[in-house]
Amino acid sequence: MTSGADIRAALGSDFAPSITPSLPRATPTQLSQAIPKNSSQPRRHKRNLLVARRGGKAVRWSYESTPVSSRRDQLQFRRWRRPKKDEEPEPFVKFAKYDVRAECPEYDAEIYEAHLTHADWTKDETDALIEAYSDSYGKWPIIVDRYDSGQPRTMEDLKARFYGVSATVLALTTPIHSMTGPQYTLYETLRNFDPAKEASRKKLAEGHLQRRQTEVDEETVLLGELQRIMINQANLDSEREDLRRRLDHPVAGSAGYQYHTSQALTQLWQQLLQTDRMKKNQRLRATGKLSCNNEAVSRHDANIASGNPVFDGLPGATPTSARPRDSIAGIPDSGAGSSRRPTRDSLPSATTPGSALPIDMSKADLERFGVVVAQDKTASGITFASDRLTKPRIAKSTLQTDKIATILTHAGVPDLIGLPTPKVIEQFDAIMAKVHTLLDMRKLAEKEEQEIRVRSAEAA
Amino acid sequence: MAPTTSKRVRNTVVRRHFIIGNEAHVLPHPSYPDPPPDGHTKGWKVFVRPLPNGPDITTWLKKVQFKLHHTYTDASRTIEAPGPFEVLETGYGEFGVEIRLYFASESGEKAVYREHYLVLAPYGSDEQKAKQEQDNLVVAEKLETVEFNEPTTDFFKTLTSEDQFNWLKVKKGRGKGKKPDFVFEGEVEPSAELAEKPFTGVSGVGAGAGGAWSKVYEDQVLRGLAQSAASLEQAVEEERRVMEGRRKRMEELGVAVGAK
Repeated sequence: MTSGADIRAALGSDFAPSITPSLPRATPTQLSQAIPKNSSQPRRHKRNLLVARRGGKAVRWSYESTPVSSRRDQLQFRRWRRPKKDEEPEPFVKFAKYDVRAECPEYDAEIYEAHLTHADWTKDETDALIEAYSDSYGKWPIIVDRYDSGQPRTMEDLKARFYGVSATVLALTTPIHSMTGPQYTLYETLRNFDPAKEASRKKLAEGHLQRRQTEVDEETVLLGELQRIMINQANLDSEREDLRRRLDHPVAGSAGYQYHTSQALTQLWQQLLQTDRMKKNQRLRATGKLSCNNEAVSRHDANIASGNPVFDGLPGATPTSARPRDSIAGIPDSGAGSSRRPTRDSLPSATTPGSALPIDMSKADLERFGVVVAQDKTASGITFASDRLTKPRIAKSTLQTDKIATILTHAGVPDLIGLPTPKVIEQFDAIMAKVHTLLDMRKLAEKEEQEIRVRSAEAA
Repeated sequence: MAPTTSKRVRNTVVRRHFIIGNEAHVLPHPSYPDPPPDGHTKGWKVFVRPLPNGPDITTWLKKVQFKLHHTYTDASRTIEAPGPFEVLETGYGEFGVEIRLYFASESGEKAVYREHYLVLAPYGSDEQKAKQEQDNLVVAEKLETVEFNEPTTDFFKTLTSEDQFNWLKVKKGRGKGKKPDFVFEGEVEPSAELAEKPFTGVSGVGAGAGGAWSKVYEDQVLRGLAQSAASLEQAVEEERRVMEGRRKRMEELGVAVGAK
C-alpha cells in the first residue's frame, strides 16, 4: 500500500504537500457546535455507549448454579448473572407454563394387587412403564426407545399394557355409569386396543410407504378393474339369470315328459300299434322284409307277420285281414326268386321305410304301362313332357329369346319337336346347354373386344 | 267313404303318350255337311286321341273341353268319355284351340290346359305340301306326354291294370280274347311305349291315326338333334378359338401399353 512517503520519494522533492485550503471557518453555529473540537483529524472509534452507561468501568458477572424452582428434579443450572440486584423472576419461571405433564394412571400397591396384575408384567415393570410415559410425555417412539425391561417388548405390547392399566384405573375412579361421554369413549378405546391389529396395520402402512411406482400403478389398474366389475355385477347377474331361464325354458308342463326315456318311447309305440290293429282299416302296416327263415310259412302269412323284427318288435302278432295282400317291399331276398306277377289288386304299401320299390312289377310290365321309377326329384302333380322342349327356348327378355331362336335355327333345330320322348328331351337339354354356353361366350367376346379396342387405342 | 287324402305312390311317374292334333280338308268333303256354310272353305277336326297301340285313354282322361274361336256358336265344346275326343267343324281361318283336359277322379288332379294351333293350309317342304294337296288332307299333330308324378294308389291301380288294352283286343270266343287284331304290318304289341315301327292304326288312316309315331320316327328326330348338337359344338369351338386369339392380342397390347 502506497503511502505519502512513497509518493514523495517517487516524485522527488519537488512534490510539496499542498495545503488544502481548509474550509473557511464559519462562525459558531449549531453545526459547528455539533462538530467536536478535534475535527481536523477524523475520528476512528465510536464511543461505546454501553461503556459510557456504566461510566467506563467494567462489571464483574458471576457464574454460579442455582436450582430452578419450577423443575421437579434437582438439576442445577449455571449461568452468568449480574451482580446482586433485585430479584428478577427467574427466566425459567416464564416457561413453566409449558411444563405440562401427560396424564397417566395412578395407583398404589393395593389397587395394583387387586386389579392390575398381569401375567407378563411385574409391578416394577409396570411402574417403570408409567414413569417412562409421563417422562416422555406419552410419545411412544421415545418410550419404546428408552424403556428397557428384561423381555424384548414391542411398542404394541407396551401400549397394550399401558392402555389396559389406564382403562382399569379409569373404571375404578369413575364407575362406568357415571362416566361422561368423552370419558366413556376414551375408556372404550383404551379397552379395545388390540396389539396384533395395530401391529399389522402399521406393517401395512409401512408396506405402502415402501412400495415402488410400478406396484402403485398396478394397484390402481386393478382397483379400477375391480370397481368396474362391482358396478356391473348387478347387471351381469341379472343377465345370467335371464339366460338361464331361457335355456331351461321349455318347462315340462305337459304330459310329454313321460316319453323321454327310450323305454317309454317303445311303450308308446307299441300302444299305438295295438290301437291301430284294433281298428278296422289299418293305417300302419308292417314292413315287408322277410327274414330268411320264413320260407316254411305260407307266402300269405309271411308277407304280413314277420316284418323286420328290429323294426316291428311284434313277431307274428299282426292279425291278418281277409284280403290277400301281396308282398310289399322290394323282395330281393325273399324265398321266391322269380319276379312276382302282379295280381289285379296289387296294392302298394303305404309305410315302407325299408323298401326300395313300392310297386312290384316286372320290367316288362313297367314298360307296358309306362311306369317309371323316378330318380330323386319329382315334380308333384301333372307335368307335360313337351313343355321341356319349349320352355327352355324362352328367356327372360325377348332379346334373349330371339338370340336363342337364331342359334337354334342356325343349328337346325326345328321350332316344333313333336315327339317328346325321354331320349329326345335329353338330347334337347344337351343342346340347350350348348346354346347357353355359346351365348355366354359371345357376351364375353363382346366385352373383350371392347377392352381390346380401348387398349389398342391406348397403345397407339 | 274313405277320406280323399289317399296315399301316393312314391318315386313313381306314370307316363302316357297321346296325340293332340287336327285334320283339315278342303270342302266339299264327304265327312262334312254339304253344302258348307257361307264362307267356310275348310272342314277340320280337332282331336285328342291315344296312341293306336297304347292303353285306353279314358283310363285317365274323362272329359275334354275344346274352346274354339269366339265367333263360333257354342265356342266351348265338351266331350266326355268314352266317345272319341274330337270336334268336327268347318271354317276358313286358323286359330288356337284351347284344350282343357279333365283327369279321372281317382287321380285327384285339377284340369290342365294345352293349346293347339289349328292348321288348315298345307305346310312344310314343297314335297310335303304337294302331297297334302294331292290327298286333300292336312294333318298337324303333336305327341304329348302326360306325366303323372307320384300318383295316388287308386289311380296307380287303374293305370297299371290290364283292362286298359281291352279296347284293342277282339272278343274271341268266350270272354275277352287276348289276340291283338291288327291287319297291317303284322302285330304291334300293345304298349304304352312307342311302337317300334310306323304302322297304320285301327282306324285305317295312317298319318291321322297316329301311326306315324314310332320309334323309327324317334330315331329320326334324335338324329336330327344330334346333328344340331354337333353343329353347335362346332360353333362353341369356333368361339373358343376366337377367344384364345383375343387373349393373345390382349397380352400383346398389355406389353405395348406397359412399354410406352
